[in-house]
Amino acid sequence: MTPRRLLQSEQFSGWAFVSPGVVIILLFGAVPIVWSAVMSFQRNNLLSPDTPFVGTANYRKLIHDPVVVQAIQHTLIYTVLFVPGTMLVGLFLAAAMNRKIRFIAFYRTVAYATMAVSTISEAIVFIWLFDPSYGVVNYFFSLIGVPQQQFLNSPSEALYVIVMMTIWGWTGFAVVIYLAALQGVPQHLTEAAAIDGAGPWQAFRRVTLPLLSPASLFLAVWLTINALQLFDEVYLSTQGGPLNATTVLVYYLYTQAFQQFNFGYASAIAYFLFLIIIVITVIQFRVGRRFTYYRS
Amino acid sequence: MAVFAKAGFSKAHLAGLLAVLTGAAVLAACGTDSTSSSGNNSSGGTTIQIWEGYTQVEAKAFAHLVSQYEATHPGQKVNTLYVNSDNTLQKVLTAVRGGSPPDIAYLYGSWAPNVAQIPSVVNLTQVVKRPGVNWDDFWTGERAVATVNGKVIGIPALVDNLAVVYNKTLFAQAGLQPPGPGWTWQDFVADAKKLTNPAVKQYGTAYVTPGTEDTVWHWEALLWEAGGQLLSADNSKAAFDSAAGLASLNTLRTMAVTDKSMYLDPSDSAYGNLFNSGKIGMLVTGPWDLATFSNVKYGVQVMPAYPGTAGGHQTISGPDNWVVFNNGSARTAAAEQFLIWLTSATQDKYFAVQTGDLPIRQSVGQDASVVNQMNTAVPGMSTFISNLGNVKQARPQIPQYPKISTALGTMIVSVLLGKSQPQAALSAAAQQVDQILAAG
Repeated sequence: MTPRRLLQSEQFSGWAFVSPGVVIILLFGAVPIVWSAVMSFQRNNLLSPDTPFVGTANYRKLIHDPVVVQAIQHTLIYTVLFVPGTMLVGLFLAAAMNRKIRFIAFYRTVAYATMAVSTISEAIVFIWLFDPSYGVVNYFFSLIGVPQQQFLNSPSEALYVIVMMTIWGWTGFAVVIYLAALQGVPQHLTEAAAIDGAGPWQAFRRVTLPLLSPASLFLAVWLTINALQLFDEVYLSTQGGPLNATTVLVYYLYTQAFQQFNFGYASAIAYFLFLIIIVITVIQFRVGRRFTYYRS
Repeated sequence: MAVFAKAGFSKAHLAGLLAVLTGAAVLAACGTDSTSSSGNNSSGGTTIQIWEGYTQVEAKAFAHLVSQYEATHPGQKVNTLYVNSDNTLQKVLTAVRGGSPPDIAYLYGSWAPNVAQIPSVVNLTQVVKRPGVNWDDFWTGERAVATVNGKVIGIPALVDNLAVVYNKTLFAQAGLQPPGPGWTWQDFVADAKKLTNPAVKQYGTAYVTPGTEDTVWHWEALLWEAGGQLLSADNSKAAFDSAAGLASLNTLRTMAVTDKSMYLDPSDSAYGNLFNSGKIGMLVTGPWDLATFSNVKYGVQVMPAYPGTAGGHQTISGPDNWVVFNNGSARTAAAEQFLIWLTSATQDKYFAVQTGDLPIRQSVGQDASVVNQMNTAVPGMSTFISNLGNVKQARPQIPQYPKISTALGTMIVSVLLGKSQPQAALSAAAQQVDQILAAG
């Protein structure tokens, strides 16, 4: 290939067109990723130029840190509740709205509004709903004779309040995905099922649900990755408390990095989390493939 | 080229790689431009860059001062950049790594021991000795926070303190005398109990319980008042596992657990609204909250004391600093000159009256006309100003403080939630703090 032909080749112009994007991604994506990998083997506070390499000390410290163990537990409990919870609520609302009724556009907008509400407003609303003394939830509990709860003040309840808060916040997202998937379910299939004698529940269970499986897999993976990276709601409502009850991995690494200046240790935690996310995502895809039905 | 072809690396790939690298070079070239735009300008003057976190009235007053400075100092130019103060250190660290720190940044005092480790931070020890600076005119608490290991690393930018803000109406309803200047923690606890009324969900007082530094510094004032110390004099050991430490935690426990007269606020966001709605009798808080209490009739009193101890009426202050970064001697000199001007009595007077921020200089805090103006604008301010004289100690100025704070936060919250007895919590926290200090 002569230089002239090289310059005119499609591959060259292709690369030339994407190069600014590639450079930006490398600069703001790859560089921090590599840098934090290096930092995870250093004692580094980002303040002083003295950043000695400490081998795997940060990773060894991580294994023996009782707060990391707690944070992993909290992260997993949260993920196990949040992901199916959001999917179920989203599926229910999407199925309820997948019909021709009056004001349907309004209902759909309302359902999606939870995505549009900023996390800070969402957190403030939930803090007040679940306030032990002045909250609406405890008021309803008192009406039906349930004992008053401490919610965010209780180490055994705070995490569950955050689960509810985030399920509410992500419901709109799940609704939109499921609604789109539901509209792709061909009506003749459900009609055929009805003619064959299937009731509405059976038709939903045996025909609609399998056809939604690609959407379900997408949601499961997407929500899991987000759940493992939970931060905003914790930061805004409990700051990891009370007594570390809501300290999840990302929040803990944030406090290590930006409050205690242990950037090396925080990077090690970040890489550990990265590993967890990869393992879980691979498992999800492997398992999901068996249950996912793609029409093509 | 044949080598590339064998390895599956075609010429087209190579071309692509070259294109990417060219793009990178172009971007890199764009990136270096920004630093040269400030600095010595053509007219022989100097331009400095300052990062501050002022909004609303503060931003307006600050902009006014900057333009006044530029007008009275020909050739000097001050570029201001708004940065949310919570994130300033994070951004400064990035800028330092990139070789283009601001000349001056507004940084929280709690960061000072860590900020002192940044190599480009300018040592101001000699600067504050210059004639006209009058360093001793700054409050004791401010000077303590601006100094790390005997080295001055900042000029005071803001000062505050904690005092008791109480609801006059609720005190009258409960048939209580308003707190006097000689009151004790025993009075506080007794009043809090009488002000509590579960039927109307009214609490005597409140405490913030996220376990962060906001939880911790409220308690530190109690510890000092009870005659205690956080660490040993050489900062090598925990010293709060003492009779004073126990007394301070017992005071909190009595209200939170025994009397249930204390509203616990896990989010650090609700207590202000509740006080402003007349649901809380007394708050230990700072001057920044006063302007938001527009719906209640409030009074302000100094912190109660522990009788029989040497502590007396103390309080704690969380001052912030202006920190100078080295961008060459010309800009450093210009930055120092600007800060000396900005924090001098005349400018301090203007800023305090305009914004309601407490005067950073004692001479301004004792100026009756300033105090009157501020107290008329926001009633209760005069108590907060005079209470600055009760700031007698500062938190330990050591880099391990954030870690110590975390251990103390856990200790306090576990007592407030009734999960630990005060003595057990003290012992556990002291052991942790000793470990943190031993690790260096």
